[in-house]
Amino acid sequence: MKDIYVLGIESSCDETSFSIVKNGREEIATVISSQIDIHKDFGGVVPEIASRNHVKNVTMVLDECLEKANMTMDDIDLIAVTYGPGLIGSLLIGMEAAKTLSWLYNKPLIPVHHIAGHIYANSLVKELEFPLLAIVVSGGHTELVLMKDHYKFKKLGGTLDDAIGECFDKVSRVIGLEYPGGPKIDKLSKKGSPTYKLPMPLKDDSYNFSFSGLKSAVINLVHNEEQRGREINKADLAASFEKVAVESIVRKAKKAIKEEGVKHVIVAGGVAANTGLREAVTKMGEELNVEVIFPPMKYCTDNGAMIAAAGYYAYKDGRVADLYLNSKSNDKLA
Amino acid sequence: MKIFYIDTSSNYLITGIVENNKLIGSVVEKLGENLSRDAVPLVAKMFDKAEVNPKDIDKIIVVDGPGSFTGIRIGITIAKVYAYAFNINITSISSLEAMKESFNDASYFVPIIDARRGYVYSAIYDKDGKEYLPKQYIKLSLLKDNLKKIKDYLIITNDDIDIEGIKVKYKPDILKIVEKYKNRKNINPHSVNPNYLKLTEAEEKLMDNK
Repeated sequence: MKDIYVLGIESSCDETSFSIVKNGREEIATVISSQIDIHKDFGGVVPEIASRNHVKNVTMVLDECLEKANMTMDDIDLIAVTYGPGLIGSLLIGMEAAKTLSWLYNKPLIPVHHIAGHIYANSLVKELEFPLLAIVVSGGHTELVLMKDHYKFKKLGGTLDDAIGECFDKVSRVIGLEYPGGPKIDKLSKKGSPTYKLPMPLKDDSYNFSFSGLKSAVINLVHNEEQRGREINKADLAASFEKVAVESIVRKAKKAIKEEGVKHVIVAGGVAANTGLREAVTKMGEELNVEVIFPPMKYCTDNGAMIAAAGYYAYKDGRVADLYLNSKSNDKLA
Repeated sequence: MKIFYIDTSSNYLITGIVENNKLIGSVVEKLGENLSRDAVPLVAKMFDKAEVNPKDIDKIIVVDGPGSFTGIRIGITIAKVYAYAFNINITSISSLEAMKESFNDASYFVPIIDARRGYVYSAIYDKDGKEYLPKQYIKLSLLKDNLKKIKDYLIITNDDIDIEGIKVKYKPDILKIVEKYKNRKNINPHSVNPNYLKLTEAEEKLMDNK
């Protein structure tokens, strides 16, 4: 069978990325231009600034990617692009670039949901086996997704309010850590012990999550201690918070594995880089005797490779769009 | 010589192909929210209808702003990716230049785009096309002060601007714009970028606090 080379384009937040992946499994080249230092001054991603940088970078990143792969656009078979969800102004740059390339080179255009991309980042590591449970954890998502076959997604449950990554960022701000907060809390938690008592959110039978209550509990705790003139042990608070947040995910994942006969567990999204979560999920896999795969750290942040990998399987599933394809800031995976 | 022109700086798609001083294809359509969805397919259809292969274009002229931030980026992205992909010469002009160039018969031309909160994007050009007032993000009252110093000026705007004088709506004369700017110096496609004439609000706040 002829090899299929997919160009993957990702621009949903503050990373402009192009990548070329062979047959949905083998990464040929990836280039990521991150704006993390640009947004640091603002304490978070400023959508308009992100869009401005995407348009500035777009052709340079494409050029570097083709050069790295030692390929030309004529060698590409499919063009896969993140259509959503994400920041609309950012998404549009990748989308217009993808559509222009699809038009000029007459190549099929494949729309990819950002979360499908994060799930398929794992396909670059190992062949996916089904039924598969994807624990999707990022700045915008906290979901349990069940897959019984390639590109068949069923959402078992998700967060009812804040996403876990969002909660990490907010808590880090309360403790006085720099943006982005997730990695900072993770690092700090290693130096402390979970001595502060925080409530376990949503202890019910559903597959849903809730993080706003946990966030408020941390804020209240900090305020109360301040009022009493007591100093917060930041490392202990970070450790306490991370423990509860991670446990709330693992509890529900365990239930899904048992009830759905899951063979393969994958963790997807930016929070997959969290070491506390990695340890807890690994332990869970050993306990329940299921294989757990984590994306390598380089695939935890947004990248074109995961979009190209997902794009390959989306194409096999017949998902080809015409040039009227548009970006969507909000769209459900399943 | 074939030239491709594209302007998405307002809520319109304004695009055309000029060959040997003739407009052989064009689209001028109000797309509003659907600009991002429809721009590429409508451009592709224009090429098909004019029977022009995108590879055969000799030069691209793209409008780099001012105007709608998102709108500008759509046209710039299409144009720079196109120029990069097929190694085509590219240059940019401002939306104010395009507006000015579409009209005749006045001593001065004053294209105005509403920038809200009492501000506009504007410039004043004399009849030879020279900048009397350079393009800028300017308080409307300040623009009015500048207009007091000149006579026989034509205001070109599609927005509801509270200003005295003879006003005309902007109707793009793509052929005239292209003929005027077809020899403008080429830019490296990577360096073709929007010219917003305005910082983002987040940057403005950060500057104020420093």
